[in-house]
Amino acid sequence: MRRNLMEILCCPVCKGDLELRVIEETEAEIMEGGLLCGHCGVEYGIHDGIPDLLPKT
Amino acid sequence: MQVYQPREDTRLLLTAALSDVRSGERVLEVGTGSGIIAAELAKTAHVVATDINPHAVAAARSLGVEVIRTDLFAGICGSFDLVIFNPPYLPTEARERIDDWLEYALDGGRSGRDVIECFARDVGRVLMPFGRVLFLISSLTGLYEVQQVFSDLGFTCFVVAKESLEGEVLYVLRVMRHLCPMRQPGA
Repeated sequence: MRRNLMEILCCPVCKGDLELRVIEETEAEIMEGGLLCGHCGVEYGIHDGIPDLLPKT
Repeated sequence: MQVYQPREDTRLLLTAALSDVRSGERVLEVGTGSGIIAAELAKTAHVVATDINPHAVAAARSLGVEVIRTDLFAGICGSFDLVIFNPPYLPTEARERIDDWLEYALDGGRSGRDVIECFARDVGRVLMPFGRVLFLISSLTGLYEVQQVFSDLGFTCFVVAKESLEGEVLYVLRVMRHLCPMRQPGA
């Protein structure tokens, strides 16, 4: 995912802002990382360049 | 095969979307599947796509689509000029369920409208004030009933394309906010 995608991503549960954590990044995009919702205390993954915003139940 | 492959419905929705989209617009495709519509629209617009199916998001990404794995637009908070959706629209009984990802792309619940109703209730959250929605249903889904779902929520809803297949008719519906609701005089 490109960094500017952050503007339109939110927590799928509370709709709050997400905090980006980068593990692996190329010139164009983030390949591996995490998206933390501070309000819910949940981290969603970014794998193979795709953010996974399915609720963790 | 775990991803819904492009068929008549895909082509009908793609044609309608290409004639509706304007250069540089912000477009969200919900439930992108193979990603073919999103990839085509990305030639003229800024397109983001979602799908709940892990195989579909991988397929869409392989076409160069900026894709997010989420349920409808649960993890999306932006406002879009155009939202595109080819939903699961076939009426499906519980005993018919086989519970795999491909079926997830087809199963609209008993009425065929379960997913469309969820979509309709929340789509305003990701739609610009003058934003449009283009989505596809079948005569099996119930054209009148689907239009009623949207009009009850304050949207207008028109058929902009149709195609007859064996045993059903496909419709592309264009939905916008009802900007001039009927008011009582003096209200």
